Amino acid sequence: MNETALVLTLAAAVGAAVPIALAALGELLAEKSGVLNLGVEGMMLIGAVAAFQAGNSTGNLWIALIVGSLAGGALSVVHAFLSVTLRANQIVSGLALVIFGTGLSTFVGKSIEGLPLATDFTAVAWGPLADIPLAGPLLFNQDPMVYATVAMAMAIGFYLKRTKTGLALRSVGESPATADSMGVAVAAYRYVHVIAGGVLAGMGGAYLVLAQVPSWSQAGTTAGIGWIALALVVFASWNPMRVVLGAFLFGFARRANFWLQGEGVEIPAEFLSMMPYLMTIVVLVVWGTRDLRNRMGAPASLGVSYVRDER
Amino acid sequence: MIPFGLRLERRLDTKWWHTYGTPFASVVAALLTGAMFLALEGFNPLTVYRALFEVSFTSKFGITDSLTIAVPLIFTGLAAAVAFRMNLFNIGAEGQLYLGAIFGAWAGLTLTESLPAVLGVGVVLLAGMIGGALWAAPMALFKAYFGTSEIITSLMMTFIGLFLMQYLIFGSKSLWRDADVTNFPQGAKVPPSARLEQWGNTRLHWGIIVAVGFVVVVWVLIRFTSIGFNMNVVGSSPAAAAYAGIPVRATVITALMLSGTLGGLAGAMEVSGRAYALDPNGLALGLGFTGIVVAALGRYNPFAIVVVATFLGGLRNAGIAMQGMPGERVPVEVSLMLQGSILLFAIGGEVFAKNRITVTRTKAVAS
Repeated sequence: MNETALVLTLAAAVGAAVPIALAALGELLAEKSGVLNLGVEGMMLIGAVAAFQAGNSTGNLWIALIVGSLAGGALSVVHAFLSVTLRANQIVSGLALVIFGTGLSTFVGKSIEGLPLATDFTAVAWGPLADIPLAGPLLFNQDPMVYATVAMAMAIGFYLKRTKTGLALRSVGESPATADSMGVAVAAYRYVHVIAGGVLAGMGGAYLVLAQVPSWSQAGTTAGIGWIALALVVFASWNPMRVVLGAFLFGFARRANFWLQGEGVEIPAEFLSMMPYLMTIVVLVVWGTRDLRNRMGAPASLGVSYVRDER
Repeated sequence: MIPFGLRLERRLDTKWWHTYGTPFASVVAALLTGAMFLALEGFNPLTVYRALFEVSFTSKFGITDSLTIAVPLIFTGLAAAVAFRMNLFNIGAEGQLYLGAIFGAWAGLTLTESLPAVLGVGVVLLAGMIGGALWAAPMALFKAYFGTSEIITSLMMTFIGLFLMQYLIFGSKSLWRDADVTNFPQGAKVPPSARLEQWGNTRLHWGIIVAVGFVVVVWVLIRFTSIGFNMNVVGSSPAAAAYAGIPVRATVITALMLSGTLGGLAGAMEVSGRAYALDPNGLALGLGFTGIVVAALGRYNPFAIVVVATFLGGLRNAGIAMQGMPGERVPVEVSLMLQGSILLFAIGGEVFAKNRITVTRTKAVAS
């Protein structure tokens, strides 16, 4: 009985990991280009509310997902313009994005608060594979977005490590001046990847309303997942596959309550919720000392605007 | 790819209208953006804005309520300003505020019973400052000794603080929880000796005076003391500071701990002046995050922070008040949306104030 509870919890953790992983993968792309975007939470909320509206008016899941992604991407354009073109303070700009996104999404979402959604993602069982103990419910009985997320992480890993554009992207994040002198359009790279980050954050938000929570309810929809995604990028030391594994770990921390209570373990829910944040600090301190940072994969020019004249 | 670019050149002659005009232009641009969304949702922007202004800044109770909300914003604004002007990004004033409230409420519940009010409030505020500083300590030490990003640490500590506060009230039968109320968990009320007196029949309390006092203290500290001097030098160039023999590490720790202390003070002040208890729902309002907006809009100047905090306090107050008004029910989030867009325009406007911007026809030059 308790074993089933654990399996169910693990299977639920997979779903819970998807929005965290999507948003973190997006943030990873932006950060690899050297732009820190703290506005993940705001972009996810906008994505969520837009996806909900689109889902309810069209009844089509995929249109809803796309609309949510585009909404997140649209908000990230503001950050790209401020931080890349106007070279404003990226931290303040990112926070402004969260405040604006939270305000706008709750304002626009006022009329749909508490309404059920007409359509949502459902798990697809892989025939007999789904009946394998443990692996079945975990791997072969999930909704399509779970597989899409893993595929995207692999694609991003390949893109960063094995393609010419990916190499150029990393050089923009490490040393924009060098990249510029090699003929790489620094601004264009930063724009594209910040916006890609916004699209993925919006997609994560869209997935939340389309699969995880039954209805739109103000900021309760994301419940701080955007911030966890930011932590996760550091936790995973800018490695896409580690982002996926870390997201699963963080997702498990969010769902473990159910199982632990069944086991009779009396850990207060609040302490479990703290775990992802505590783990991130520990990882930062243990692996994040100055000498090790390069090996960790943090872009050297993260958060620094690039000005050609001042090279 | 991009057919034109923007070229930024630092202005050599920043005129007064560049400095003072841009914040106002940002507010106007933000109001226009807000109007667009209001109209899209079927509200008349003019009616909403007029009501907003009338609610917050014309009646006696409107003004006092706006100022009441400005009190914590002044403290969190100072907290952000102290750190940000040194390029140290403590974005965790929110969590430091929670810990200030936890410590302040603890002191109020256990220490102040037999004290006269002036002393009792002092004890609460002092405890809050210690709580905020303690919560900022990991960020400060890890930053100074390991070079760990203070942004991430302070953000993580904020969420840990939030869950800690929720645990104390909702998750356990702690000292902070009111033992007599069983149906919905609440914080235990601190005794009158731990409360700041309110003015007449308004909600405004003496905290506003304390807040302005701290504005002066922070200004003096930054302008006229050697600590402030060291902070300024380390902020502009850590390398130059080290060369000049300034203890960079100690200065970074001092600045971040001071920032945390001010954040903690905001929380203790909320307990002492408004909430009278550790009230997770009434304290987790994003006051710490808004403090960053306050500091950025005030350009990290302590006196400007008072003005901006009052303005944003009014905006927030109007949002709350308008929800309860008859007729057009405007959601409270309008004020949050406006806040965000004011900030977005302001940080963009800052660039316009400091630089001459020309549009170039070639490939993106400025980036």
